[in-house]
Amino acid sequence: MVYTHLSPAWFFGYDVLLEISFAVVSLIIALFAFKIYKSSAIKQVHLFGLSFLLISISYIIQSILNFMIISKLNENVSKMIKLQSIVHLNTLGFLIHMFFMIIGLSILLYTTFKTENRKLFWLLIVVSLLLLFLSRDAPNIFYLIVSVYLFFISFHFIGNYRRNRQPKTLLIALAFLLLLFGNTHFIFILNHNLFYPIGHILELFAYILILWNFYLVRKK
Amino acid sequence: MNKKRDRLQIIHDILLAIREKGSQVKPTHILYKSNLSHQMLMEYLQELIAKGFIIEEGDKKGKKVYSLTDKGYDYLRDYTVIKGFVDSYGLG
Repeated sequence: MVYTHLSPAWFFGYDVLLEISFAVVSLIIALFAFKIYKSSAIKQVHLFGLSFLLISISYIIQSILNFMIISKLNENVSKMIKLQSIVHLNTLGFLIHMFFMIIGLSILLYTTFKTENRKLFWLLIVVSLLLLFLSRDAPNIFYLIVSVYLFFISFHFIGNYRRNRQPKTLLIALAFLLLLFGNTHFIFILNHNLFYPIGHILELFAYILILWNFYLVRKK
Repeated sequence: MNKKRDRLQIIHDILLAIREKGSQVKPTHILYKSNLSHQMLMEYLQELIAKGFIIEEGDKKGKKVYSLTDKGYDYLRDYTVIKGFVDSYGLG
């Protein structure tokens, strides 16, 4: 299996920086959710924290692997060896990134269902992983599954905003809509490499909104 | 009260009623302060005991009384932040 995602040369390095930023924001939200869980004992908050922790891990792995790819590109070895190592790193990194991201989003989607049905929880995770790892076109299937999950998650947050019209709920609804648009962009990266930076930039705006919400929540 | 209270607020009201009275608070006092039916209050009290927010003891006459735990005090202290976070993501 060889996975490729086409990033324009000028975007090398910036993608790593952005992925580190997404990882840091996700980690902050995860740790804060665990703190809230400690005081509130709400199970959904615990699962929510877990989902953001897994999403953060997926970004950390993606950024490390992308950084290693950039380092390989600068190595003074033959083109063939260089290409082989880059393909291996890219495939390995993408597999681990997909694994953590899919589980993280499955858990986040599950929390929006507001149910305690464990069978549904495991069904979501198992079906997602099977679809992903048995597919011959894993990257496209991955972005497709992520987009479908984000569609339902965004639907939940829009509904939450309609019930509870506050700036805080609006920020989260907008953030997840941006994440949804960002991920649907990734489906088209094989057609045009400009979609890769556009997807990242949309994600950047989304994480800025999540961080802004975090600031508002903490402000007493 | 015009707006329906959510679970977070009901829990807050129960814990506040216990804190204001001090330790070893009788259920009748909590019932009066929390504005719930007897059955609902009992369900909430069981949940709060299970979550470790309050403890149930017997007074000198053997009747049930309730006191806050450290976790209960933490909940009251962090209530605004908890509510802000839970409402933001619709997690309640």
